[in-house]
Amino acid sequence: MARIGVFVCWCGSNIAGTVDVKRVAEEAAKIPGVVEAIDYKYMCSDPGQNAFRNMIKDKNLTGVVLAACSPHMHENTFRKAAIKEGLNPYFVEIANIREQVSWVHEDKEKATEKAIDLLKMMVEKVKRNKPIEDVRVPLTKKALVIGGGISGIQAALDIANGGVEVILVEKEPSIGGKMIQLDETFPTLDCSSCIMTPKMVEAYQHPNIKLYTYSELEDVSGYIGNFNVKIRKKARSIVEKDCTGCGDCWNACPMHKNVKSEFNVNLSERTAIYVPFPQAVPLIPVIDRSVCLHYKKGGKCQKCYDACGPKCINFDLQDEIIEEKVGAIVAATGYDLMENSLYGEYGYGQFKDVVSGLQFERLLSASGPTEGVIKRPSDGKTPETIVFIQCVGSRDPEKGVPYCSKVCCMYTAKHAKLFAHKVHGSQSYVFYIDIRATSKGYEEFVRSTMENDGAIYLRGRVSKIYENGGKLIVKGADTLSGNQVEIAADMVVLATGVIPKKGSDKMAQMLGISYDKYGFYTESHPKLRPAESSTAGIYLAGMAQGPRDIPESVVSGSAAASKILGLFSKSEYEVEGTIASVNKTTCVGCFYCQRVCAYSAISKEEVKDRSGNVLKVVANVNSGLCTGCGACVNACFSKSIDVRGFMDEQIFAEIKSLAV
Amino acid sequence: MEKMNEKIQNIAKELLENKEVNLIIGFTKGSNPLRMRSVFITDPKDVSKLSFNSHCVQDLAVFLKKPEVKKFGKIGIVVKGCDEKAVNTLIQEYQLSRDNIKIIGLECHGVIKQNLADKGENSLNQSTVYDKCLACEVHTPTLYDYLVESDEQAFEINGNSIKPYAKIEELDLMSAEERNVFWQNEFEKCIKCYACRQVCPLCYCTRCIVEKNTPQWIETNIEETGNAQWNMIRAYHLSGRCIGCGECERACPVNIPLMLINEKMARDTFEKFGYKSGIDINAKPVFGTFDINDFNDFIK
Repeated sequence: MARIGVFVCWCGSNIAGTVDVKRVAEEAAKIPGVVEAIDYKYMCSDPGQNAFRNMIKDKNLTGVVLAACSPHMHENTFRKAAIKEGLNPYFVEIANIREQVSWVHEDKEKATEKAIDLLKMMVEKVKRNKPIEDVRVPLTKKALVIGGGISGIQAALDIANGGVEVILVEKEPSIGGKMIQLDETFPTLDCSSCIMTPKMVEAYQHPNIKLYTYSELEDVSGYIGNFNVKIRKKARSIVEKDCTGCGDCWNACPMHKNVKSEFNVNLSERTAIYVPFPQAVPLIPVIDRSVCLHYKKGGKCQKCYDACGPKCINFDLQDEIIEEKVGAIVAATGYDLMENSLYGEYGYGQFKDVVSGLQFERLLSASGPTEGVIKRPSDGKTPETIVFIQCVGSRDPEKGVPYCSKVCCMYTAKHAKLFAHKVHGSQSYVFYIDIRATSKGYEEFVRSTMENDGAIYLRGRVSKIYENGGKLIVKGADTLSGNQVEIAADMVVLATGVIPKKGSDKMAQMLGISYDKYGFYTESHPKLRPAESSTAGIYLAGMAQGPRDIPESVVSGSAAASKILGLFSKSEYEVEGTIASVNKTTCVGCFYCQRVCAYSAISKEEVKDRSGNVLKVVANVNSGLCTGCGACVNACFSKSIDVRGFMDEQIFAEIKSLAV
Repeated sequence: MEKMNEKIQNIAKELLENKEVNLIIGFTKGSNPLRMRSVFITDPKDVSKLSFNSHCVQDLAVFLKKPEVKKFGKIGIVVKGCDEKAVNTLIQEYQLSRDNIKIIGLECHGVIKQNLADKGENSLNQSTVYDKCLACEVHTPTLYDYLVESDEQAFEINGNSIKPYAKIEELDLMSAEERNVFWQNEFEKCIKCYACRQVCPLCYCTRCIVEKNTPQWIETNIEETGNAQWNMIRAYHLSGRCIGCGECERACPVNIPLMLINEKMARDTFEKFGYKSGIDINAKPVFGTFDINDFNDFIK
């Protein structure tokens, strides 16, 4: 016989203001099986929880229903309290009369009736609940970090320093990501490579970190604690262990003026065999087979091989597939910049002296194509006037993206500042919409660019740029004074918007994590679980989640690492027991459930007789992978699959309780 | 048809003699000269019973789901193009292994409506065949191990005067209320005999949803709600899957025009998802596929 206890929470006036909680409790007491129903001001308070525990004990309850806030808030609180009284935690149900009733309705009478209905449904459900045990899965204590930018490196280092093995996979020939391309960093103006290279070297040399550069993730299967990953280690054409990084090979390469340097954003050239930049980690070159004459001309050229002392160049090396088993994954795949060509009016690509922000970083950098002397690309002259245009693509729902790219205000201020420092007597103009400088020291930094370095900030958009007599004529509006302005500039720098790394959607699909309409990975909860992806065991870091600056990227890398170290601190991982289960008697093995499962949680299982003959093949749920989403339940024609805690019978009883 | 019969018989004989199959499912002459029936042959000496003509209306693929047939293991089956689509779908849905089936595909120009044949109709033309034959895109099956070509010429279809399933357009033009009245009147006739289910090659669940009684989602008694529930769930479970053999409608003792529902579902599936069922054994069934480009204009 069911003995159900009911609590109706006031949530102060949050619920009681719109719902007649006394009446709800009175009506609840009339439902068959309910032994006591009370209302209480704050159920989540200590006395509230004590009342909850006491009633379970005193009335010997078989189930409890709370009419209160969303189960997202306090379901766990009360489940834990139930465990303390020896009641299986899945005998606690919550009727959400706050988010679903009091906060969305005004009519007290009708809201009260709805609250009573929701409560009735839960009472009928809890009567049919069955005890559920949580599932324990074993953990492989090894982590995979995808992406060797600052956030990935930070995550890898923190995990490795916690005593856990890490595999760090980077697509490019060197780790370092976007940060290593930057010159000095706002707001403290420390040189990016000075603070980044020690991190890169530390990651490379760390005994717990296995680094795969020039490598890409090929396949991911499995689930939290038990992922199987395949990594494609692309053929560098170099026997890495023998290479000393001396540089004789790239100095011998005849292809020295033909290939644009990706690292310098097309502002310089590189050879076919190359390291992307002098401080590359590892300092091992790679042959770009798409341009190398050896591959293009049938093996005739082998000048690099001839020049190589240890003879570590091997043109025949093939891609390798490396398989690893890991327990957790960090997706830190970073970002790209939008195509500037979307904005024809700015003349990017048409005028050589219109450059992107990242190109300007390279022009400022001591390791860049001009060795840190600002020279404009067209004729190598030092510019005296530069116009900076902010929000190129950002905050532009029409042509670009509606979101703010967050870092542009700050790096533009930095560009203007560094320009003033490097070229005395120069003048910069910044076209902006709003200035967003909200972190520590940021506002002061922008102020000082304006006040100490003389940058002129114009609030408005640029309508057109054209060339006239070796100058770029920038026409725009200054909306504060209401005037049209025309500036004859030597260079124009575009603060181009940030977008997710090309292929991040494919990566998300491979990992089985969700992503937003732009391709940024979405967090499990935007505020309370910002380091977790939608899939257990996969964590997020860096710009792959959305625009953020270096300190935030570092923090997110550390956050992902701390989550993984926390996960690995236990011997097993506990999964909620509310997962799918198959009725193997009625399952006919059509496997529509497998087709619709977003988590690859369904596999095929043979049902055999005693002599080992296969009678039929049925669906089997992997409890580590199943999230209890219920997609399989919908797909099953014969209703042979159910989610524990949300069984057909329970749902049916809920619906039926509403029928008069 | 004699040449065709001889070819079918020879193939069947060879398959049975070489032990490539243990059973051949085919058509044979019924007691009435204008009615054909199914035949199950295990002995090569019996292959002379196999026959085919334009009265072979049955979809023999329905037998492939039966446990008493399954136990034969390797099976040969004589199929028209429309029925063969059911074989494809069974393979696609893991109910049948391609290795265990030998498909003797027949070229077919159409089959004569049984109610006309019962009145003595024996000529094949656009007014005597089923609507599915007029709309047929698989006169030659899409998948087969043996193909037996027809001895006869296809009849001409005068495209202007014939519109298969013309009633669908008529229903589409009705208001939702009018359509509801139309179908309620049809479903009112239903006696819940489940012949439509039994004869369907794709209704292979060993426990149908109507037989699930904890809880009882579908009312079992014969009345308005239960009848509508059954007919809707049947249509829903076959949407994107039904291959249009028309057996449900043929088997229905109270003449509910079930093919109007099936065909409407098939048309919508093709229009919305570009998917036709039963064509490719490796295709992902539309019911079990999520594509980011799926239409979503119904989400407001």
